[in-house]
Amino acid sequence: MRRLLVVCAMTAAMLPLLVQSASTQAGPEAGKVQAARRAGPPKGAVPRLPDGTVNLMDGVWVGGGPVQDMESQGGLKKGEMDALMLPWAKALMATRDETQEPHNACLPMGVPRVTPFPYRFVQNYTHRKPTHLFILHEGNIHSYRQIFMDGRKHPAELDSSWYGHSIGSWEKDTLVIDTVGYNDKFWFDRRGHPHTEQLHTIERWTRLNLGQMENKFTLDDPGAYTRPIVFTFMATLMPPEDELLEYICQENNQYGAATIPGYKGPQMGKDPLK
Amino acid sequence: MRTKLAVFLAGLALVALAVPAMAHHAVGAEYDASKVVKLTGTVSKVEWTNPHARIYFDVTQDGKTTTWNVELAARSALVRQGWTANSVKIGETVTVEGSLARSGVAGVNARSVILADGKRVFGGGQD
Repeated sequence: MRRLLVVCAMTAAMLPLLVQSASTQAGPEAGKVQAARRAGPPKGAVPRLPDGTVNLMDGVWVGGGPVQDMESQGGLKKGEMDALMLPWAKALMATRDETQEPHNACLPMGVPRVTPFPYRFVQNYTHRKPTHLFILHEGNIHSYRQIFMDGRKHPAELDSSWYGHSIGSWEKDTLVIDTVGYNDKFWFDRRGHPHTEQLHTIERWTRLNLGQMENKFTLDDPGAYTRPIVFTFMATLMPPEDELLEYICQENNQYGAATIPGYKGPQMGKDPLK
Repeated sequence: MRTKLAVFLAGLALVALAVPAMAHHAVGAEYDASKVVKLTGTVSKVEWTNPHARIYFDVTQDGKTTTWNVELAARSALVRQGWTANSVKIGETVTVEGSLARSGVAGVNARSVILADGKRVFGGGQD
C-alpha cells in the first residue's frame, strides 16, 4: 500500500511535466527556447562588466516576483501577510475576485508583480557613468520601468503612477531600487492584495550565480499594512536562444466580457466601486 | 485494489486540472475545466495574437453549423514552443478538445488541437 502511494505521488508530481512535454514535443524545430528552458537555469559564475559591476544585461529573466499569491510566493507563512493588513485593506481584498484584476484588462502590473514572460535589464551610459536603468517587460503588458542611476533623489512632490519614481544604486554586488509615487490601482497578485499611494518599495536584486537572481523585496505601505514586510523572490536567467518578443495585449484581449457570466470589469484602487 | 486505483486516477485528474492555473490570467474563471468537449470542424480564421492566439472553426452538428472560438496560449508562448501562424491553415480540418466557456457561448480554452493527419499542434490554452 505504501509503495502504491509513493508511486501515485511521484506520478502525480510528474504529470504537469508530462503534460507540458506532450504539448511541446510535436513542435517544429524552432521550439528551441522551450526545450532549452526545460534544462533549467544555466550554471556558472556571476558575470561582470569591465569595471567590475555585476552584469545583469546578458540575457532575459523570468520570475522574481509574485503572480498568484505574494504571501506564499514571497516566502511568508500562510496568513503572515494577511495578519499585517489594516482592517479596511482586508475588507477590500475580501470583495475582490481574480476576474477583476486590472492586469486582465491589459493594464500594467505594477511592482513587484511578474508574468510568465521575460524581461531584460538595460543600462544607459554617458561616457562617464550609468545614467538610467530600464527594465523592459515583454508582457503583460509590454511596458518598461525607468530607474535613475545618476544619484538624484525622489522629487518632493509626485503625481502617482503605475510604476512610480525609481532611483537605483549599487550596494556592493546588490542593485538597490527605491521607488515611491505609485498609484493605488494595481494588485500585488491575483488574490488582490491591495496598497495605497503611500506605498514605498525597496528591491534588492542580488545575482547569486549565472542562472539565478534573488529579489529581496520590502513592501512599506503604512496606509494598508501595519509594518514593512520583506519578501524573497527568485528570478531565473533564460537560455541564450530566448529574446523579448512583441506582446501587444490590447490587440486581441477577449478576457471576460463574452466568457464570464456577470463580468464586472477591472476593479482598481481603494474604492471597490471605482 | 480497485478502490485504490480509482482514488489514484481521481488524484491524477485533479493534478491535470490544476495545470491550467499556470496561465497568465485566471483561465478557470472563464472556462469550466469540468465541462470538456471534443469537436471537429473546418478552420475559418486564425488570429496569431496576444494575449492569446485563437482559431475559429466551423462545426456542423445535426445539420446546423456553428463557428467556435478556440483560445490557445499566448502567441509569445507558442512562438517559444516553435509554432507559427502557419501551423494551422484556413480550410484545414481540426479536432479540438477544450474546456467550455462558463457563459455558454461557443468558445473553448483548448487542451489539444489535432490536425486531420493526427499531428498535434500548439500547447493547451494555458501558457
